[in-house]
Amino acid sequence: MSRRTAFSAQTLAVLTALAARPSDWRHGYDLARETGLKSGTLYPILVRLADREIVQACWEDGEPAGRPRRHLYRLTRDGLAAATAALAAVPAPAARAARSGRTARPGRPGRAATPRLAREGP
Amino acid sequence: MERLTWMLTRMLRDAARLLPPGRQEWAEAVQAEADLVPAGWPRVGWLAGGLWLAAKEAEIMRKVVYWLGVGAVAAAAAWAVWLSWHTSPAADALTVTDRVRVLVGVAALALMPWVGRRRGWFGPVGTSVTARLVRVAGCAGVCGLGAAILRMDSHIHGGPHGPAPFSPAREITAAVLLGVGLASLRVVRARWPQLDASTLWAFTGMTGAVVLAIVPAQALAIIYVAGTLAATSRRSPVANASLAAGAMTGLAAGLGSALAGYELSTPDDRYVDLIFLSIFAAALLSGTLAGAAASWLRSGTEDPDALREARIRQGLLAGSVAGAVAGLLLTNFFAIAFFMMLLGPLLGAVGGALGGAIAAAHPRKPRPARSWAAGLFVRS
Repeated sequence: MSRRTAFSAQTLAVLTALAARPSDWRHGYDLARETGLKSGTLYPILVRLADREIVQACWEDGEPAGRPRRHLYRLTRDGLAAATAALAAVPAPAARAARSGRTARPGRPGRAATPRLAREGP
Repeated sequence: MERLTWMLTRMLRDAARLLPPGRQEWAEAVQAEADLVPAGWPRVGWLAGGLWLAAKEAEIMRKVVYWLGVGAVAAAAAWAVWLSWHTSPAADALTVTDRVRVLVGVAALALMPWVGRRRGWFGPVGTSVTARLVRVAGCAGVCGLGAAILRMDSHIHGGPHGPAPFSPAREITAAVLLGVGLASLRVVRARWPQLDASTLWAFTGMTGAVVLAIVPAQALAIIYVAGTLAATSRRSPVANASLAAGAMTGLAAGLGSALAGYELSTPDDRYVDLIFLSIFAAALLSGTLAGAAASWLRSGTEDPDALREARIRQGLLAGSVAGAVAGLLLTNFFAIAFFMMLLGPLLGAVGGALGGAIAAAHPRKPRPARSWAAGLFVRS
């Protein structure tokens, strides 16, 4: 059975946000605001992306005054290449949906846009 | 609201400790960001999302379902023991026979989680929800079967093989045969590693047939538990779609047959032929439907002949699952129908192969690939 691996629309939204400023470290709430994703969706995506070494994560240096240290994220070199390829392969309506963090077919909750990354699965 | 936020923060902190070391920092990250989120419902939602993350990463749902399953099996075993000790008549030979069997059954159930979690033919369980559900339901069905036989015995004062005196020699022979049957396969594999799979299966089949002829009820229960574990393990040749198709059609066929049995049974057994006919027809039909569905759902890019063969094979497997589910369910309703636990899978397999072959000749049109929203990666 052939297996293809694709990113979901929400993952593409996260990749879009990270790829917009690839050299900057971003924190979770910042990404959540930009993508419109809830923490329960955003963080599992970041965990999986970090597992696949598409995203690197680290804790903020030092002890900032008045707030706890933040966990920061940015794309790795390979991650940036994968994200660029994935976003280039996405059809235009799906790409718009990915940028807004929404599904492409309103009225059908749970169905995502159909962006696919042409990459063989493990 | 503040109290709720405080409570969720505490819960998230505690939940982070349940996570494996590499995952704890993610729950802590959600917690660290919570102060940035506007107070009130947005912050509550943020923290709740963190709890969801912790639940997913700690596989809490999986553990809850697993322990619920273990609890259900333990409760069923305790009930069977209670039923045997409480409702049986005076401690005569037949009662002792039943009690020995109950204790053997409980010991087998206690071993089941260990066997099911070891890497091999029977475990660990497949990653899909279908595999987990079928595994839990199948084992619960076998437990229910034990209880059904016990209940029948307590009414008619006879063992599963009809009235017969208690014979320690017979029970010991049965236990030894079961043990030898299970152990001999391992010995054969160790002694003759070059043997191919079909020879091993033939050997297993012959051993099973001998054991089945001597102790049908115990052997059938063990075969069903082993079959359930094997069909739902990660190495199982039964595809998820085939498992789901077989389980659902088998469930419908079993319930339909049981209903027909209730509706058509009369004191003078006027419709007994019709009852048997409906039971056999339901097993065959459910197998055919399951086979067709499994074959139709099997997709692939291999060459047409190999794909057709794979589709028919999945059809046969789905049909066997449907027949087995129907037979087990029916036996839970009418313990006397336990012959269907043997005939059901056979009829289902025949129907499944037929349905699989028909569906393989009419493959579905390829549909555009779609992805599901919730996951990170989507496979198709």
